[in-house]
Amino acid sequence: MMDDEEYKHLIRRCIRCSICKWIPQLQIKSKKYATICPAIDMYNFHPYSGGGKIILALALEMEKIKPSEELRDIVYKCTECGGCDVSCKFLNNLEPLEIIIKLREKLVDLGYGPMPKQQQYIDSVKKNNNPYNEPHENRLNWLPEDINIDPNAQVLYFVGCTSSYRRKEMAIAACRVLNAAGVPFNILDNEEYCCGSPVFRTGDINTFKDFMNKNVDAIEAKNIKKVVFSCAGCYDTFKVHYPLYRNYNFEVKHSVEFFNELIENGKLLLTKKVPLTVTYHDPCHLGRNAEPYKEWKGKVVNLMPLISIHVPPKPKRCGTDGVYESPRELLKKIPELKFIEMERIKEYSYCCGAGAGVKSAFPEFALHTAKNRIQEAEDTGAQVITSSCPFCSTNLQDAIHESDSLLKYYDINELLMMAIGITDEKLKEFLGEVA
Amino acid sequence: MTEDILFQKLVEIFSSKYVSRERNILNNYSKDLSFYPEKAPKYVAWPTDTKKIEEVLKLANELKFSVIPISSSSGPRHHGDTIPHKDNTIVLDLSNMNKILNIDRKNRVVMIEPGVTFGKLIPELQNKGLRLLLPLHPRDSKSVLTSALEREPITIPRYHWDSSDPLLCTEVFFGTGDLFRTGTAAGPGTIKEQQATGQAQVNPMGPTQFSPFRVIQGAQGSLGVVTWATLKLELIPTIQKVVHIQSDTIPELLNLQHELIKYRLCNELLILNNLNLACLVKKNAQEITELKNKIKRWNLLYIIAGRGKLAEDKISYLEGDIRDIIGDLGLKGLISENIINDNDILQVLSQATPDPWRLKLKGGYQDIFFLTSFEKITEFISIVEKEVPQDLGIYIQPINQGTSYHCEFDLYYDPSNDAEKTNIKEKFLKISTNLMDSGAFFNRPYGILTKEVYKRHDDSTQTALKKVKKIFDPNNVLNPGVLCFDE
Amino acid sequence: MVLENEIFKDFEDIVGKNNINDGKVITTAYAYNWCMEFFNYMEDKEPSPFSSIPKAVILPASTEEVAEIIKLCNKYGIKFKAQSTGLGPWNQPSTDNCIIVDLRRMNKLVKIDEKNLYAVIEPYVSGAQLQVEAMKYGLNCHMPGAGPHVSPLASATSMAGPGFTSPSTGHSARNVLGVEWVLPTGDIMRLGAIGLKKKPDWYNGDGPGPSLRGIMRGWVGAKSGIGVFTKVAVKLFPYPCSTDFTITGKSPNYGFKIPKYLRLYVMDCKTYEFLEEVMLKVDEEEISFMCSHLSGSGLAAIFSNSLQGLIGKAKLAQLKVPIVILITARTDREFDYKQKVMDNLIQELNIKDIIGKSYSPEPVFYAEALRSNLGLHGFITTGSFQSSKGGSDTAAVCLLSTKMNIPLKMEYIKSGAIGNDSGKGVWMTSYESGHYYHMESPTMFDQTDDHSVKGMAEYMEASNQLDLLKHLGAPFFVEGTQMHELFGPHMSNYHIWLRKIKQAFDPNNIADSGFYISPHSKE
Repeated sequence: MMDDEEYKHLIRRCIRCSICKWIPQLQIKSKKYATICPAIDMYNFHPYSGGGKIILALALEMEKIKPSEELRDIVYKCTECGGCDVSCKFLNNLEPLEIIIKLREKLVDLGYGPMPKQQQYIDSVKKNNNPYNEPHENRLNWLPEDINIDPNAQVLYFVGCTSSYRRKEMAIAACRVLNAAGVPFNILDNEEYCCGSPVFRTGDINTFKDFMNKNVDAIEAKNIKKVVFSCAGCYDTFKVHYPLYRNYNFEVKHSVEFFNELIENGKLLLTKKVPLTVTYHDPCHLGRNAEPYKEWKGKVVNLMPLISIHVPPKPKRCGTDGVYESPRELLKKIPELKFIEMERIKEYSYCCGAGAGVKSAFPEFALHTAKNRIQEAEDTGAQVITSSCPFCSTNLQDAIHESDSLLKYYDINELLMMAIGITDEKLKEFLGEVA
Repeated sequence: MTEDILFQKLVEIFSSKYVSRERNILNNYSKDLSFYPEKAPKYVAWPTDTKKIEEVLKLANELKFSVIPISSSSGPRHHGDTIPHKDNTIVLDLSNMNKILNIDRKNRVVMIEPGVTFGKLIPELQNKGLRLLLPLHPRDSKSVLTSALEREPITIPRYHWDSSDPLLCTEVFFGTGDLFRTGTAAGPGTIKEQQATGQAQVNPMGPTQFSPFRVIQGAQGSLGVVTWATLKLELIPTIQKVVHIQSDTIPELLNLQHELIKYRLCNELLILNNLNLACLVKKNAQEITELKNKIKRWNLLYIIAGRGKLAEDKISYLEGDIRDIIGDLGLKGLISENIINDNDILQVLSQATPDPWRLKLKGGYQDIFFLTSFEKITEFISIVEKEVPQDLGIYIQPINQGTSYHCEFDLYYDPSNDAEKTNIKEKFLKISTNLMDSGAFFNRPYGILTKEVYKRHDDSTQTALKKVKKIFDPNNVLNPGVLCFDE
Repeated sequence: MVLENEIFKDFEDIVGKNNINDGKVITTAYAYNWCMEFFNYMEDKEPSPFSSIPKAVILPASTEEVAEIIKLCNKYGIKFKAQSTGLGPWNQPSTDNCIIVDLRRMNKLVKIDEKNLYAVIEPYVSGAQLQVEAMKYGLNCHMPGAGPHVSPLASATSMAGPGFTSPSTGHSARNVLGVEWVLPTGDIMRLGAIGLKKKPDWYNGDGPGPSLRGIMRGWVGAKSGIGVFTKVAVKLFPYPCSTDFTITGKSPNYGFKIPKYLRLYVMDCKTYEFLEEVMLKVDEEEISFMCSHLSGSGLAAIFSNSLQGLIGKAKLAQLKVPIVILITARTDREFDYKQKVMDNLIQELNIKDIIGKSYSPEPVFYAEALRSNLGLHGFITTGSFQSSKGGSDTAAVCLLSTKMNIPLKMEYIKSGAIGNDSGKGVWMTSYESGHYYHMESPTMFDQTDDHSVKGMAEYMEASNQLDLLKHLGAPFFVEGTQMHELFGPHMSNYHIWLRKIKQAFDPNNIADSGFYISPHSKE
């Protein structure tokens, strides 16, 4: 990630072109679904956009504005979805997302961040190891008795706080599929802690490092070779952000990647028809933001006055290498499932609206964004919208409910369960049993 | 100031040779073919250079008399826009300013004075492989510049990039007597200095943040007196092929016309009813009637053209593509051959005529013309046909690259028959107001219809136009009383 | 400087509380724009990227709301500056007694009229949005050269109007039909057929009588100095080739399935004299979708999506006087014919096309050409650029202007103030199959470098002087009182008339005139 010097340089380079408000220009297919930024879509004033926040960073740096609650509210009304970043970087060399993250850090340092609601979550993370103010000892309450856990397995399923406490069906589904595939796997029991994402995204790096270390230590102590996630947020944190501070000796996979491989290898058999028309929502944390940082060690060479290049070329993180194909391949393998795309997909997918603390601090904003996405899904003619992230799950389901949509939401692993032969009703039964 | 002193001052400006107060001469300017009430000007002056125009306008501002600029040397005028409204009016007849100032083959542009006529200019351009964008078969004595200033529709809609085409830059004296050059002609630099850097005054827009040529155009001489203008030209094709498609009903021809303009496939493109087509290509009433009865009611004419070495190739591609379109529309059976000689049609669409075609049938006509959209054309035809079951000419011209349509209804009558004349006048008013009430846009309002047009238009437009008038002609010396301007 | 409570409340009553803000943070952010640094410097101010800070920002949702806002501005003596997509210093207030009217919420595509070949749009419909909807009918729009992300309404009514496809789609100002216009007094005026009291429609914007489009704008627009344009009908054109527009891959490494009937030619004319001959001949054939001249380095830039990529195209940059022609067609016959014309011209002119021989562009170039994304490549070297010059008349004057600018530009290149394009950096396009031409000189500078910003400003001023004294046409940026008073006396004293228009249409001087003309010469 950028250092302070680069930050100070880049915040002077926004050309206010507003490309950050749109999906990449070449990808625009309709007037209706041309935009990328939930914040500007909701609040309209330019500073809410990616470029607008760069201007705020500059104004703060130049002391044109002072830190204030007004500033804080604008900066935190952002899901950090990174859509602006992808669109900007098609041609430009700015780093809108990193600037936004850094600006939040600065507000935390200045005593103006995060939002009070978000602070409650952070306090809970520190106190309870999860943001939901739930007792740590209840972390495994979701786990049905008939799930086979293998304490000696080299595969670990990292459940995550949200699946553990709020979206239990996702955890159950992931485990059922693992069992069905005959993959021995372990979980961390009470040694699993919040991945640290909520504190990282609100700028508290020291606390983040503590949680990272606790998790990585626990995993490495069990001699784990592969960690599987059904939570896109935890996956992103492990894959992209942990390596910025610490290397680890295991492989990380999102369940969509892992299960797709299992199907390809013939270990997971999809035998039941699932005759549904399904569209897939790319979670930002599994899609564009799951692209890891690539280390660059080089120098800036001044070719001629005003023109410098990086030697060797500095990798640009553009969302190119997110996890896009696995979930699609997986869905296409489900018998009789008709897969249909929304307009905004993959690196230019529209955010569900829940990320970066928005769901807690600005629920109306989160819901507004999700409704937009649900409308887009409905316009495809799909019966089902699926995804692979518990935050997206919650927010999209809230939007379905609020907008009286006939769409159904299933986690992608729930669809897999159906294809394996574990019906939706069965899933509900499991949930009932657990409850 | 007595009238004699004013006359004397005019003589000082123009010399006695170029000012007249002779009754018979003044009478020539007192009426036209329209129903506008007659009124003679006080004097007529024929400027021979721009200095005189400046002087007379300054004098008009000083002495508060009115000036009506006209450009065509002879031949009938039509729409009542040059007939004086006020007693104290001088007609400024610019027909002696008739120089073709520059024909520029490279930049496809011509610079002309107001008195240059179609009859004079077309052959001069032809000699250089160039052609004007023409209105439908204009009178040869008609001023080319006036036609462009009046936004007369041209017959090649694909070259009609803006409703202002073919008018480009102008030199103009505003009503104040101040000289101005519009578009890139404004400078920096004089025209000579501009030409030294290779400029040819081909961009009508500007100077900078306004485009005064657009308000001069359509103003009927009420804002400025144009002393030269540049006009956009096209190259003369090597091969032209005329296609004439006939039908008893118009919708299929409109559909084909739409496709042809949408894909910019042909040059000239227009629809005429049988009477108007006959008036264009025949000489007298008898021939006209014969042809009219021989051809179908609706006639789509278009010309495809190619130029240079690959002219045949272009024709072949256009023919093929149009054949496909005609096939798709199911119109294959409608193409007519040899009913009218192709050359006669080419002549009509590329030349001027000494014999105004609208006067051939009965010696008089009253035209009703307006703009509308594709969908409304048939509705308007029904409105007019209901009122005028015979001797009705119809001309439908897509303009501005097919974004709107000039609809023209020509009500032919015998001007020596008073009863017929009165009847036509009544019908003209009734039909025109009916059309206006049905959404026809009379964008070029003339004579006795003018008030009706503005009454039906957004008041803010009138207010704005009056502001414009106040800016460029604050003392209301130029053609007072036309449009929405005060008398 | 915030609004007084009572005044704020009056504005708030029009748009609702979520759509007005006079907080320091929002208003300051609206004071920032691209190129503000050197525009400030040109006005003898500090080279800051911030302009005057508006008193408030207001987001109307309808024409009626805009009209009410402007009436309130008149009542309270507060100026307004309207903006659509908001790119560039022209969107900035020139005084702190000003509110910004951000038209972002007015984003309806009112209609696409397939039969009459036009679209009616509000200010915040982007070029790309309009284009993709027009494509559904096999139609296309003229895209502003600034890119597909900006407002075609702003381009048509208020800004400049060239585009890469100008040979076939003209100039924004000449594609305007009906217009809805809120005057600086707050009165709503509708130009042309849309002003009819009965059955108004958008198909024509001229008259009755004189066309007020001539007051609305000129070669460039009034930049909100003559009111706010809330809807405009713009002409549509046939989409140039197959409407199949399939992007593959992931950003920024997009691929493109090149549609049928698209062919690019790039030829080095070596001299400006020969370029003129080639360009005129090509234009007379009426075959090109695009026909542009760029310098070698400019050419390399439009084919590159990054600085690294640009460096890899050194060979292109070495072309002396390149011409870029893109031909398109709807059918095999048309495509064959156009290619044959090009083959003949190439033979007749004894010139070499490098495409498919020594160079083949990435397929994504064609997508960017069709979507008019090429102008944005100007930013990939130094991070910022702005064009000097911008006059328009014949090809000859454009090329003379190009030549005469080289030594001037070299002075500033040598001083290290602007990017090195050998002084030849230029984009020139024909319009309407070569009936007129325009050139501008994109000039790269670094907005974070004070020396560069100041040098850029000085170069712009020197370039303007060159155009003025050598009669090379009026540059784009002759706007604002100071520039009008500099150029006006050399151009028919047009500034006097423009000022009269301002006085007549804005009697209270409420529309911010920073980029138009003030009603009084001393203001």
